Amino acid sequence: MKTMPRRFSILPLILLCGLLLDSSRGEDPTWWSFRPLSRPIAPRISEFRDADRAFNKIDRFVIAKLREQGLRLSPEADRRMLVRRLYFNIIGLPPTPDEVEKFVNDPDPNAYEKLVEKLLDSPRYGERWARHWLDVVHFGETHGYDKDKLRLNAWPYRDYVIRSFNEDKPYAQFVKEQIAGDILWPTSPDGVVATGFIAAGPWDFIGHAEVPETKRDGKIARHLDRDDMVATTMNTFSSITVQCAQCHDHKADPVTMTDYYSLQSVFAALDRADRDYDIDPKIAAKRLELKAQLSSSEQAIAKLNQEIEKAKTDEIRIAEKKIAKIEKSLSSENSNSSQFGYHSKIASTQDTEKWIQIDLGRVASIQTIGLFGAKEYGFDDFGFPYQFRIETALEESFEKATLVAQFEDVDHPRPGSEPVEIKAGGIEARYLRMTASKLWPRHMKGQTVSEDWIFALGELAVIADGKVAEVVGVHSLDSIQAPPRWSKKNVSDGLFGGSSKIHLEKWLPGDSKDQSAQLARLVDLRNKLLLRVAGPKAAARVEQVAIKSELEQKIAGLPKPQKIYAGTIHKGSGNFIGRGGLQGTPRPIFVLNRGDVSQPGDPVTPGAVPGIVDSLPESFKLPANHHEGDRRVALAEWITHPENKLTWRSIVNRIWQYHFGRGIVDTPNDFGRIGAAPSHPELLDWLAVEFRESGGSMKHLHRLILKSAVYRQSSSDIATMAEIDSSNQYLWRQNRRRVEAEVVRDSVLALAGKLGLKMGGPSFQDFVIEHPEHSPHYQYHLSDPDDPAIHRRSVYRFAVRSQPQPLMDALDCADPSLLVDKRSETNTALQALAMLNNALLLRMSEHFAERISAEPEPVAAAFTLALARSPNPSELKTLNDYAAEHGLAATCRLILNLNEFSFID
Amino acid sequence: MNFPLSINLQSRRDLLKTAGGGFGSIALNAMLQQELGAAQIPPNSVTQIAHHPPRAKRVVQLFMAGAASHLDLFDYKPALIKHHGEKSDFGEHVEAFQNGLGPWMKPVWDFQPYGACGKMISEPVAPLGSVIDEISFVHNVTGKSGVHSQATYLQATGFNRPGFPGMGCWISYGLGNLSDELPTFVVLPDHRGFASNGPKNWSSAFLPAQHQGTIIRPGTSDPITHLRPSGKTNFATSMADADGQAVLARLNREHARERPGDSRLEARIKSYEMAARMQLSAPEALDLSKEPAFIKKMYGLAEPGTQWPKTINAPEEADYFGRKCLTARRLLERGVRFVQIWSGNDNGFPRRNWDSHEDIERDHGPLANGMAIGTSALIADLKQRGMLDDTIILWTTEFGRMPSTQGSKGRDHNPFVFTNWLAGGGIKGGLVHGESDEWGYKPLDRRNPTEVYDIHATIMHLLGLDHEKLTFRKDSIDRRLTDVHGHVIKELLA
Repeated sequence: MKTMPRRFSILPLILLCGLLLDSSRGEDPTWWSFRPLSRPIAPRISEFRDADRAFNKIDRFVIAKLREQGLRLSPEADRRMLVRRLYFNIIGLPPTPDEVEKFVNDPDPNAYEKLVEKLLDSPRYGERWARHWLDVVHFGETHGYDKDKLRLNAWPYRDYVIRSFNEDKPYAQFVKEQIAGDILWPTSPDGVVATGFIAAGPWDFIGHAEVPETKRDGKIARHLDRDDMVATTMNTFSSITVQCAQCHDHKADPVTMTDYYSLQSVFAALDRADRDYDIDPKIAAKRLELKAQLSSSEQAIAKLNQEIEKAKTDEIRIAEKKIAKIEKSLSSENSNSSQFGYHSKIASTQDTEKWIQIDLGRVASIQTIGLFGAKEYGFDDFGFPYQFRIETALEESFEKATLVAQFEDVDHPRPGSEPVEIKAGGIEARYLRMTASKLWPRHMKGQTVSEDWIFALGELAVIADGKVAEVVGVHSLDSIQAPPRWSKKNVSDGLFGGSSKIHLEKWLPGDSKDQSAQLARLVDLRNKLLLRVAGPKAAARVEQVAIKSELEQKIAGLPKPQKIYAGTIHKGSGNFIGRGGLQGTPRPIFVLNRGDVSQPGDPVTPGAVPGIVDSLPESFKLPANHHEGDRRVALAEWITHPENKLTWRSIVNRIWQYHFGRGIVDTPNDFGRIGAAPSHPELLDWLAVEFRESGGSMKHLHRLILKSAVYRQSSSDIATMAEIDSSNQYLWRQNRRRVEAEVVRDSVLALAGKLGLKMGGPSFQDFVIEHPEHSPHYQYHLSDPDDPAIHRRSVYRFAVRSQPQPLMDALDCADPSLLVDKRSETNTALQALAMLNNALLLRMSEHFAERISAEPEPVAAAFTLALARSPNPSELKTLNDYAAEHGLAATCRLILNLNEFSFID
Repeated sequence: MNFPLSINLQSRRDLLKTAGGGFGSIALNAMLQQELGAAQIPPNSVTQIAHHPPRAKRVVQLFMAGAASHLDLFDYKPALIKHHGEKSDFGEHVEAFQNGLGPWMKPVWDFQPYGACGKMISEPVAPLGSVIDEISFVHNVTGKSGVHSQATYLQATGFNRPGFPGMGCWISYGLGNLSDELPTFVVLPDHRGFASNGPKNWSSAFLPAQHQGTIIRPGTSDPITHLRPSGKTNFATSMADADGQAVLARLNREHARERPGDSRLEARIKSYEMAARMQLSAPEALDLSKEPAFIKKMYGLAEPGTQWPKTINAPEEADYFGRKCLTARRLLERGVRFVQIWSGNDNGFPRRNWDSHEDIERDHGPLANGMAIGTSALIADLKQRGMLDDTIILWTTEFGRMPSTQGSKGRDHNPFVFTNWLAGGGIKGGLVHGESDEWGYKPLDRRNPTEVYDIHATIMHLLGLDHEKLTFRKDSIDRRLTDVHGHVIKELLA
């Protein structure tokens, strides 16, 4: 508890948010991004040189600015350069030689425009541009931190982004869906899935699942979690770094701590977790309707309960206490435990025998044995053996064993979530052993991931002497002890299959005089007494309960919903409870003194930042009994409001950056006073208004930019221009572009003839998981480069946060723990080594070589495929000589390592 | 001398060119080299560095993953011996991670004084006794969280969440490399697995990628990822590599010649040349076979082919940790600037880490003894080679353990106070700076604890860097290793 004054308390906190700006706060009407947005008039340039080259208004703004600086446009790039530029820029893949030649030789003066349209129509466009978006929102498929577990249901959000780009979804809708789609379009297939945005970033598993919200460490974890949601939302959509106001008011921009925590309160009901959704809108609507009815039924029952409660006599209360006691002993409160089980050590062959045995403490007459699968990684029968036998014995050693059941001739059917029930006919024994003789392979999505063979079991339950037998000891040949998740004693904890001991009661003989019968008697008594004091109410309640149960059955009868890892109201147990049990009421949020969770100050209400949308109040106008979703809807409306000064500028700047390598504002996530100033402020505003008024069409914006003369310029250096503007901020040429990690990988697969174009679905995993029981070890070097499952576009790669993929990491791919508004571009020795020696690239070099080996000039063919031009005689001779000495595969490898392969003119 | 530079990149480069031969030339030359040879630094970044003559050039960080017990190793608490077994009373409400607030528990091992300073340390770490006068202890380090992940991030990167560069990355960014044949920042992870957060602890985050920690796994077939052709292909022979480098250089230079004014093209060519040099020098640097027998023995290395029992044991731990220490020394000699050695994997079972909730003796005994043998050898070896003077050794962990029992033999997390120690590189030896209270529960002076920022600031100071001025602009914030905190611990400086 650091509540005492610290010696650094008088330190200039000014350092935190950086520069030695004067600390005067409040709205700065002079700062460009806080000025209202209006459409500037494009400059007249008819009397300037290059006026005839202006294709659209973009060119007029740029040419006018160039002239101011004493600069002018570079010549247009030739068609061979343009075709390569367009392909990589729009779809992220190289053009084939045929496509190059067709474009280069197309007599149509509109050949360029035709190509732009063709590429924007390609589904590959959405895959390419979704990747940019996923960088910005730091989408990843594991949690990060310690226990970096997989998020197997995160991918539908990635598919949603790809789909949205391909459909050219209006931007305002795209934004609203991601913040509040579950509220605004609950039955659309996009509405719920889009809120994967809120959960895209990292999550501290231990800080949430192993520490309750009541402890300080739990509070810190949840505070950091909301901070990530706020920062991601505001940086992504509005390019304002509100997170700087976490410990003190923003030092540069008009964001107070109250504003910041008001934004936290928008997300205060949410956690990151899997939630259900229906792909079929009709089913979704039906489910919503039933759930609404269920909710009113529950409310009616609650009301009746209250009334009945008032009428209860002491006699009734005593009966209820007894009922509660029995129910408690029959069930467990910790439903999480249903996942716990036994896990053998790993065997290297499938026919290794593994056994586990239980000790009943005394000889008993065994009637029924129940085998329950372990729940793990989406399996209900994880590790359940294909073949096994059940034996009993009087001695622990099992030297004299009696066979009770044997499934060793053919494989036992997979039990799924159903228990395997074995009748033992009253055999007298103290010990019972299950021996697995054909083990289960660890696998993912039906594919075996390794030569690891295991035996796992959720529960081994026994009915003996007419009741659930008590187990006094558990032994096994071996086991992985990773409590509480895996421990051999878990097989007798009475918890299995998401159910409880009650589940087992149905096997008990009918005349059993056990607790169940007593329970039934007590319930009967209680009901009779109740009828006496509150007859009509109790009758109404019985009726409502029947309605409720019918509704629940109807809901259960709907097709099984899909899952998406999203920002959602979570209803959990243990430490990770969420707000589901509280009808989704948001957590109260306070201004935290210096960002310290142990120093809460004034409470805040949901709101946004003042001065950005003049016609909306910064504090949201919501009724006192509003739903948490109303807060997110209000924020989404604020962000997408036509008057929002930041949103429209933010998105057009991002799009511009991906076309030119640099934004008009070079700090795409920060339009505040510490961010960069725009090089072309009028152009930015013109684009923002044009985009907004086009209905937020990205493709419209792409067309404008791609067709402009500015975009089509050559990227060659011109010394006289460089002297004036060496960094090319005024765009007197196009920028030569370094291709990103994904483009390298996808292009190599394409050149090797191996690129699979299957769209969507679960991500491919180019690693093997070892030791999944704690923090999974992601072993990339064990991935088989010839596995066709990994020959997909890199946007479908399963992105692990803690352990980055070595090739992609070396090539500066986005770190999913960071909000990446702009990739870094480096040249390191390790990067060169990765390009030379990565197993996938080496294997693809061989496939590339096979592909061109039958060509009359194989080296020239490889060169042309990779670089969209023929080699000159000197290049060809150099490479042919090398090929003669070291072979075609080695030569293809070199071609992939050429600078020209990694740069686009 | 104080020499603050607060200039933009363009003029900084000019200034570096002219100032290159002057004081602090290692740092300046390295920075110059880094800038000319490497990537674009984002034009919005403002790197402000105040140089003073450095005391040290290199750092070794020893990280005990899982939270090593200060009470059983370095921080001697007679009160715990006296009150062993009595009901613990902290005088205030305590939130413990797993509610491990049993009776007071005395240290598992006896303590004895060592060296001229007479510092008391416990039996398993007794091998450090021979170098104890080089070491200064800080017994009042305090953390922010008792959650491994956050606490490990805090000690490794200065922030308790992902997205920030490791200390080695900052030092690489500030000082650049001493060798262009080996990485600047090398990480030697526990061979059994990564600690909490894995490679995110040494990620370059928003700093350029060349500052990222490079994992080296000594003694394995693939000690550096991609150093050699990986996978099953066989066409990438060393001859094909050598000739290929020449062909690449020729074609890439031709390509660059037609595209003047783009320094990235030349930088990429250079990166291939550096890669080739690394391929030659790294295997030599990692080859321990030429080390004399007495050196191997000193570091606790076992005979090749030694079979180990299944249970955790001290000789095996000494072999693992000693190999890493000896590898570290060889890397430091060859110009690696920052080596991070990890002891302990993720917090799974059976325990091969310091997270002794169940049994301090079982886990801490072998791990601590192995660590102490290797570390003691490293300090002595660096000293005999004259390298201890400019190499800082930092021993750290994510937090400490409680003075009360958990179960009967374990201890729960204690983020309120724990121990760090430093040696070499301008550190005055034989001191204790900052004490914990009589139980080892919280700092004795709760108003003046030591925080990770202070440790980081001190190390940067010894390297000639001002921790307040080595910054990188990210999302509107000029980020630093020490956030908005940190004081150089002057008392520790020699």
